[in-house]
Amino acid sequence: MTAIDQEVLGVEAVTTSLPRVAAENAPVPVPRTIDARRGRGDRVFFRGASASGMVVLAIMGAVGVFLAIEAKQALVKAGPSFLTTAEWEPDRGRFGIAAVMLGTVLIAVVAVSVALPIALGTALFITEVAPTWLRSWLIALVDLMAAVPSVVYGLWGLFFLQGNIIGLSRWFNTWFGWLPFFKVTGSDPDNPLSNASVYTASTFIAGVVVAMMVMPIACVVMRQVFSQVPPGEREGAYALGSTRWGMIRVVALPFARGGIIGGTMLGLGRALGETIAVVLIISPSFKINFHVLEAGANSVSSLIAIRYNETSGVGLSALFAAGLVLFVLTLIVNFTASWFISRSRSGAGSEA
Amino acid sequence: MTLLDDRQQFGEPFALFEDAGAFDHVPVAPAPRTTLPGRPDDVVTPSVQRPIARISRQDVLTMAGSAVSALCTTMLIFGQLTSLSGTLGFVVVAFVIFVVTYAVVVGISEDGPAVVDKVVTVLLAAAAVLAIGALSSVVSFTLWRGRNAIWRPNTYTDDLGKTGPLDGVDKGGIAHAIAGTLIITAIALVITVPLGVACAVYLNERRTRVAGLVRTVVTAMTALPSILAGLLIFSTWILILGFERSGIAAALATTIVMLPIIIRAADVVLRLVPGNMREAAAALGAPQWRTVWHVVLPTARSGLTTSVILGVARGVGETAPVLLTAGFTASMNVNPLRGAMVTLPLAAFTLVKSPLPSQIARGFAAAAVLMVLVLVLFSLARILGGRPVGQLSKRQSRRAANRSAQDLRRALARHASQPQATTEVSG
Amino acid sequence: MSTTKSHVRRRLLIVAVLFLGWCCVGTAASPVVADGYQRISGEGSSWAANAIDAMRVNVTQYGITVDYNPSGSTAGRKDFLNGTVDFAASDIPFQFAPEDGSAPENPAPNSYAYMPITAGGTAFMYNLKINGKRVTNLRLSGENVSRIFTGAITMWNDPAIAADNPGLTMPARTIVPVVRSDGSGSTAQFTLWMISQFPAIWTDFCNRSGRAPKCGSTSFYPTTTGMIAQSGDLGVAGYVAQGFAEGAIGYVNYSYALGNQFPVVKVLNAAGFYTEPTPSNVAVSLLAAQINTDAGDPSVYLTQDLSGVYVDADPRAYALSSYSYLILPTVIGGQFNEAKGKTLGAFSYYAMCQAQQQSASLGYSPMPVNLVQASFDQITKIPGVVVQDIDIHQCHNPTFAADGSNLLADQAPQPQACDQNGPLQCPTGTGGMSNVPTAVSDAASGAPVVTTPAVTTPAVTNPAATTPAVSTPAAGSGGATPGVTAPAVTTPALTTPAAGAGGANPAVTAPAVGGSGASGSPTVNTTVGGGTVASGAPVPGGATGAATDPAAAGAGTGAVDPSTGGLLVDPAAAGTNIDPSAAASVGQGCDPDTGVCAASTPNVGAPTAGGAATQTVGAVTPTTLGQSSGFGSSLVLKLLVIMLTLALVLAPAYAWRHYSSRGMA
Repeated sequence: MTAIDQEVLGVEAVTTSLPRVAAENAPVPVPRTIDARRGRGDRVFFRGASASGMVVLAIMGAVGVFLAIEAKQALVKAGPSFLTTAEWEPDRGRFGIAAVMLGTVLIAVVAVSVALPIALGTALFITEVAPTWLRSWLIALVDLMAAVPSVVYGLWGLFFLQGNIIGLSRWFNTWFGWLPFFKVTGSDPDNPLSNASVYTASTFIAGVVVAMMVMPIACVVMRQVFSQVPPGEREGAYALGSTRWGMIRVVALPFARGGIIGGTMLGLGRALGETIAVVLIISPSFKINFHVLEAGANSVSSLIAIRYNETSGVGLSALFAAGLVLFVLTLIVNFTASWFISRSRSGAGSEA
Repeated sequence: MTLLDDRQQFGEPFALFEDAGAFDHVPVAPAPRTTLPGRPDDVVTPSVQRPIARISRQDVLTMAGSAVSALCTTMLIFGQLTSLSGTLGFVVVAFVIFVVTYAVVVGISEDGPAVVDKVVTVLLAAAAVLAIGALSSVVSFTLWRGRNAIWRPNTYTDDLGKTGPLDGVDKGGIAHAIAGTLIITAIALVITVPLGVACAVYLNERRTRVAGLVRTVVTAMTALPSILAGLLIFSTWILILGFERSGIAAALATTIVMLPIIIRAADVVLRLVPGNMREAAAALGAPQWRTVWHVVLPTARSGLTTSVILGVARGVGETAPVLLTAGFTASMNVNPLRGAMVTLPLAAFTLVKSPLPSQIARGFAAAAVLMVLVLVLFSLARILGGRPVGQLSKRQSRRAANRSAQDLRRALARHASQPQATTEVSG
Repeated sequence: MSTTKSHVRRRLLIVAVLFLGWCCVGTAASPVVADGYQRISGEGSSWAANAIDAMRVNVTQYGITVDYNPSGSTAGRKDFLNGTVDFAASDIPFQFAPEDGSAPENPAPNSYAYMPITAGGTAFMYNLKINGKRVTNLRLSGENVSRIFTGAITMWNDPAIAADNPGLTMPARTIVPVVRSDGSGSTAQFTLWMISQFPAIWTDFCNRSGRAPKCGSTSFYPTTTGMIAQSGDLGVAGYVAQGFAEGAIGYVNYSYALGNQFPVVKVLNAAGFYTEPTPSNVAVSLLAAQINTDAGDPSVYLTQDLSGVYVDADPRAYALSSYSYLILPTVIGGQFNEAKGKTLGAFSYYAMCQAQQQSASLGYSPMPVNLVQASFDQITKIPGVVVQDIDIHQCHNPTFAADGSNLLADQAPQPQACDQNGPLQCPTGTGGMSNVPTAVSDAASGAPVVTTPAVTTPAVTNPAATTPAVSTPAAGSGGATPGVTAPAVTTPALTTPAAGAGGANPAVTAPAVGGSGASGSPTVNTTVGGGTVASGAPVPGGATGAATDPAAAGAGTGAVDPSTGGLLVDPAAAGTNIDPSAAASVGQGCDPDTGVCAASTPNVGAPTAGGAATQTVGAVTPTTLGQSSGFGSSLVLKLLVIMLTLALVLAPAYAWRHYSSRGMA
């Protein structure tokens, strides 16, 4: 105990001193008015905070409203055929997002189906298998992977992946070509001189590159959910003689189902909006084409990136309309994702 | 088995546990008196605890053996038996053979569930290796292709203004893109951070219906594809308002991308500030703005910094909005209001399209610099945001202790200066 | 608690203050640069981008900063109309009535002026190998080109293509036409040519592609299955050059084929010769172009009518030659003001005068004197321009002759005899691979010597020396013409690689030094190589290997810094004293994959200068091909990946082990 402490805490005598009151001229004690009104500082503060909220609301609202306004001209002109037409010739009045949106969705589907197993496996590895020292390292790496700019993935896809993945595409085409998805028009697996070009610039390659961006996003969500598995249930499974895989199967996966679906959909949302990596790789085509391995793909965002400065009037409005549809789709996907996460046991308290 | 010996000495109560070998290591209190029916026969099989996390020598040997076997088999298949070829095919076939071999080898000594468990473990590890391998492939490929430009100082000090189609990587660089990135990000930060943090505070302090609407709209806007932000600014700022493509236009587009991200992240962080700290401040009579300024924001500081940095990392790497709004230039431009400005991702995107190896190398160098920038930002975020809200670092707690001591001294000083009134009422 | 400020805020404040300060400094400093030139921005043609880029670089010496974004002619015109750029570059004029049904462009009358800035040929760059060796001498008739790009011919071994190439055994490989995905002037020029020359083929394609009935010329190429669409000339050239793109053929400006070190198709012209769009051939062809001279109507003044070019009967003509234009503003508006007009004027003067001497080295053709003069008049219409009185002969434009004729066209070499439509086929390489001949079958080579594919008749002794009409001993088939090369050399850095090479061979040094002076050295008048154009050095004896001189060969392999790329070839090629007999015995050619030149010249004397070019050949080819055809050092790359992966996993493991054990102890 320091001297100060002794002095303050007063080991020996605790004395409370009250001021001496002169009874005669004592003021009548007036009870302090309890005032719920805020002081001036608070009023300013709240006004400022509300103003910032309103500014944000205005900006964000303006973005949405402006999108709709700009898109209106094209939507009115095209009518419902906007959703069913494959061609993109706004100046001639024949335009629609059937092919483009299909391409967007196909790229996203490829991306998610490539990313989902890897994300799930990595998340499970991090939470269940990896030793502690590896765990934090892996977490950092996956987070880092989510932060790598998309243009870097795009360059990698264009210069590295595209040349090296042809063999895989060819293999899929050779053995699973009977499936409509893996058909490639113009391919000839038996011909050793057949062109590799038919396998390039495809939905598949774009999808794999986008998967690189989807994977960490999905993985982060899944990992967080897996780490929330109640230890009691986990240990209970072990105590009942379960193997690790048994525990994962009966405890972790059911618990995390909402998080897995939600994380995947969050990744899907990112995949739908990805621009640069897709622009770098695809060869734009405006045909409804389910053949993911075949050269020729498209997506809404890459359409905008390619055409934004070559159009005016209806053409620009049509780009806005396509963007609006993409935005609505992404919105639905993202809100569904957060609904899944918040409705699941694991995500009850989460914010995603 | 000293434990067992002890039990025999103690006799009865411990005999109960003889059958439950699995609890061998559990320290046993003498109290419980539950009687279990004994086994009909006296044959006791001493069971051993099943290791679930440890890697034994057998595991390692099994794995190594299977790996070697798989490698050899694959080489045999690829070289001798069939005409398969290709690195990718080799790796895939080798992995499949490895898994099968491993399953068989494990099956020799283990039962069904254990085999499944081991195989699944291998598959999970393979997924992780695949993910990390993909990341390192991206990183190393970028560095590799940019290797000719990365180590040259002129890459970081020169722009491409005087670099023609025929110049090599020893001339010209990406300084203009680095400057552009910094300027555009700085403008976006100046707008987004005060606005974003203020809006997050608003969302947390006012739980009104309007705040709920703002929150929903902000959440919705995180789904906005970044190219649409660019298209909006292109259409409004450039086409309708008639400004030229410039750094400020790109910064506005980046702002639209970053703002919802920062608000949402800051919102989450602020919500984590413990309610009792707010209540304590209120109980001390602090008005709400003082509570926010002196309690909530400092408490959430590291989290806020993290959310800002993550927003910046996202903003720095965005190409699409900048592509539509910044124009393209090969020369240094530090004026965001006039003239085209180029950012690192845009430079990478544009330069690699060139057929010239030197331009491609510069493009990859830009990508590498961008990657390093994001990496640094990211590490910063992890360092600053690694601590949960309210938990102080050594320096912070030392500072807090100093402040307490100061307060104490102040109180004492006041105590000493106050005239000692009376001790009448002392009890 | 008074010390407890929000550090977040404080930092932000600092950042904001710093930034504002920076802004102020920037605003104060940057609008006015040297000589009062304001920064100007342009956008448009990627076809002409290499030429404009070179001009952009060179005007920095006058303190002029030009931002040029090669995003396509259509984008350039649109942005010019939107007023977001100061000038546009477009291969075609404004489309008042587009024939493909797209929206008409309606610039305000008298608000703009066309100024032809450069000329060039739309080349067909292709990626084709026969038995693993790259084909460099492919020939196609215009009809077959049209049918390839309309999907009517799908295989390289189509009889029609085989008929064009009697000396080649075409592989049974599918053709992948690579077209532009963005709005492009070169697409417009290409489709215009097809519609004009082969309307049936085009109409058929137009119907199939769903464009009908709007089947006019279009900036947006219709695609069908099997085609690849890429953005910009860069995108098309980049795709064709990829290793996996074997069988691909795309249309780009000639300069991109040079830059990518790829060959281009020799297209059959009306005279029955297969030609490539060398600057001189383009100059010849454009003599037949009708330039609108109605100065009163700015919407057509100086625009081109190329129908005469398509059917030009000169044996050197290349049908797909055309001019590219700058669109200059003649009124203030949008982003454009008089201060920028001053800059734009100065830039335009430079572009029309000094810059023209450099065009040929990049693969473009310089402007003839009449168009330069007309352009000078156009420049005066820019608001704010400082009118310059330029003596046109001080421009060193290689096309200018004293009598006003087009010198470049006059001196353009005649095609080789084997380039004539018939049973013969030249082995000579084209475009960026003019130094790499392709072996042709004996019958087509027309040569009695079997062992070397090179033609030994005196008229074609040297694959680079194409015609006897040339006064100088050699002219690069892929490159420039007499008198062009020397002024083309603008950067002294260009010569350094070759100078390095020269160390091993004394004879080389002289031409290398000669090239270092832009103005030319005594050797210049006779050392006409492809200059920087031909990257692979279409120089005399370009294919001669120096087998007998191992030192020279060795020097060659290290001659060029791999990082500097293929364009950096010694522009001053071989010396004057080439022994004709030495040049006559042309080597077997260079392997396009390895760049190793199989040598078969027993009698190249050490003192002769033939080695200079040879060495650069050997050095350039492998590096650039390795770059463009994918991933030369992929083994090292793989090792790097593996090591990085291992390091990422193992390093923390060891670190953890280390620290945890230390912690326990």
